Amino acid sequence: MPPRRTDVDSGSDSDSFDESSKKAKGKTKAKEGAYAWEAKYTRSWDTVQEDEGGSLQGTVEGLIARRRRRRLLEPTAAVRRTIVRHLFLLIDLSDAMRERDLRPTRLDLTLQCARAFVTEWFDQNPLGQIGIGAMRGGLGDRIVEMTGNPQDVLTVLGERHRFEPSGEPSLQNALEMARSAMSHLPNHASREVLVIYSALTTVDPGDIMETLAACVRDRIRVSVVALAAEMRICRELCEKTGGTFSVAMNEGHFKDLLFELVPPPALRTGPKTDTRSSTSGADLMLMGFPTRLPASAPAALCSCHGAMRRAGFLCPRCRARLCDVPTDCPVCGIMVVSAPHLARSFHHLFPVKPYAAVYVELFSVYSLSDSRSSEQRCHACSVSFPTQTQQHQVQEGMSPFGRYRCPTCSHDFCPDCDVFVHDVLHTCPGCEN
Amino acid sequence: MNADRASHLSLILDLSPAQWHLSSAPSNPSPLSLETFLSHVLTFVNSHIASKPENTLAVFGALPGKSVLIHSSEIADADGSVDIPGDPNSYRPFKLVDSVIAQNIETEIGGLYLADEEPPVALVGALTKALCHINRTYQTSAERSSTTQNSDAVPEPRILILSVSPDLSASYIPIMNSIFSAQKLKVTIDICKVFGPDTVFLQQVSHLTGGSYIHLEQRDALLQFLIMSFLSPPFMREVLAVPKQDKVDFRAACFCHKNIVDIAFVCSVCLSIFCSPVPVCTTCRTKFPIKSLQRLQSARPFQTGGPSGIANGVSTPANGSPKPRPATAS
Ligand SMILES: [Zn+2]
Ligand SMILES: [Zn+2]
Ligand SMILES: [Zn+2]
Ligand SMILES: [Zn+2]
Ligand SMILES: [Zn+2]
Ligand SMILES: [Zn+2]
Repeated sequence: MPPRRTDVDSGSDSDSFDESSKKAKGKTKAKEGAYAWEAKYTRSWDTVQEDEGGSLQGTVEGLIARRRRRRLLEPTAAVRRTIVRHLFLLIDLSDAMRERDLRPTRLDLTLQCARAFVTEWFDQNPLGQIGIGAMRGGLGDRIVEMTGNPQDVLTVLGERHRFEPSGEPSLQNALEMARSAMSHLPNHASREVLVIYSALTTVDPGDIMETLAACVRDRIRVSVVALAAEMRICRELCEKTGGTFSVAMNEGHFKDLLFELVPPPALRTGPKTDTRSSTSGADLMLMGFPTRLPASAPAALCSCHGAMRRAGFLCPRCRARLCDVPTDCPVCGIMVVSAPHLARSFHHLFPVKPYAAVYVELFSVYSLSDSRSSEQRCHACSVSFPTQTQQHQVQEGMSPFGRYRCPTCSHDFCPDCDVFVHDVLHTCPGCEN
Repeated sequence: MNADRASHLSLILDLSPAQWHLSSAPSNPSPLSLETFLSHVLTFVNSHIASKPENTLAVFGALPGKSVLIHSSEIADADGSVDIPGDPNSYRPFKLVDSVIAQNIETEIGGLYLADEEPPVALVGALTKALCHINRTYQTSAERSSTTQNSDAVPEPRILILSVSPDLSASYIPIMNSIFSAQKLKVTIDICKVFGPDTVFLQQVSHLTGGSYIHLEQRDALLQFLIMSFLSPPFMREVLAVPKQDKVDFRAACFCHKNIVDIAFVCSVCLSIFCSPVPVCTTCRTKFPIKSLQRLQSARPFQTGGPSGIANGVSTPANGSPKPRPATAS
């Protein structure tokens, strides 16, 4: 068993973390057991019980049933998403990250929490983009370019060898890098920098106050989560730019601090002059969807930098060449976004109705009139339904026939597909014919 | 990436009788009939199975208003009921697959109710079923076996869509949902446009899932294109010079009329897409300020002749040229 430990642990860890964070969002922080680190250490395999036959089937089904019930309880109210956010995550990769005061090490904990953070962040900010930079060896090191694809970010965060700590961090170099990465962004997009800072020093080539002033000018909001202790310059950065500064006391607190930064920040009346519509924040935005040119396209001058480029995007309104989207077209001023970024939030808008568990044997009654009832296979994955009913240990919300019926198209689905359709696909294969 | 890993191919065939009728019309520069197409596809399918004994296959058919599973290695193995007379001139597994696919397609097309107007092809139905099938057969089993040992035992899944129908703007949202599910399952989706104009949404599908999109120009060379471009699993394609996708159109369909639009009005709360300024968001019921409506109305004349889609009518998807206005730049 011991070799499995890390595996099982990290998996279950992030899961339970996700759930608790979701609960925390919905209600006030009325957690039963206070923080996770105060609870007794539980090994996930201890909670799994074998039945008399030594099989885990019952437990697995119980888990599925729990997920189903949770989904049925979820509110179906309209979801409010916010406009475009951009976040540059700066991770300290100085030698101080090797410290073991946070388990397993500061670095491992940071990467683990960052993965959970990125998943949750994209869930709540579908039109957002995240880039990742590192501070090591006195330089700012761009690890992931700004991207709207959570998978890109998560893959890189999983590659441990790209996060090898070395040398001293430079706050100024890293901030300048983040600033240049976000310089093209549209006007009403938010620009945020989140620094996870482990060291107690910074090695800067120039005056960091100038960088601070530049950040204020560019309306970049800097937030710092320190792993060691408070630093004056960090606090000042956050206060001047409207971000938040916090020091993590332990592992659980660190996660909480990161997750507090997931919901979009309240609209602030900073240097922004436009406060007319900020009361409700709701507005209709004019957007253009560009055409992406391949790398083999003939080179042309881009309208944003005036440089010769091959790949790029075409503004749908004025056909100007753009290097990157989303952006405000420098020629005609329209906000150019790629439509798939918008689409990531669609599943919140049109959720699939929960499938109903089939309790009663209907085949004999309907077999003549309705051929659907005699479907022998799951309508989605075409795997056969069990022929024998599992009347023993049927839990609430579970079908003894392993059948779940869509209320709209009245096709039957297996438990695996039920979970997949509602949690991932968000489209009923039966309703789509 | 393990080069020895087997691969699973989910093949989605667009079997729209109307489009295939047009495709085989002798007036075409290079007519391609459904029969020729199927014989090419069967050879391709056989090559896939022959490349590696562990390779698996599922074939889905998208028919008007209906999608069906035509063949699946898993289910055929489990049933083992198909009784095909032996033929000394052919390899039995090929013969099995070929005859099952051919038979099933024949019965499906033969069973179609012939109406005056053909309902749109259920391509999205087939795509979502393919994803469910992959999730059930490969992902869930990978999860279960991951604790025991290597995940290399599980075939690497991918999807290939052979499309002949024009864009279905009505299914824009399910298509987008399928893209994100495929990303989550790490499934690449390849598109081969065998007949008809480029489709905006399928271009986005292949681009966003890391697949390739090929518009077949020389249609008599279908088999060659299939084998050269789509036989190798995705990780091999970096070594081989597989034709790369040309332009990708990141356009969307509006929620109000299902028109394909390149400039749209977007609700800042729920990100619903509308082709004209609306006072209230129909999805989340948010009211928009009058001022911004007036401002946006005055900004509209920029769009010469109104939103591009409206000219195409409400029910017809924007077929014909994928670009509503000719590109002047580039
Ligand atoms: Zn440029
Ligand atoms: Zn423009
Ligand atoms: Zn199923
Ligand atoms: Zn349904
Ligand atoms: Zn419309
Ligand atoms: Zn809305």
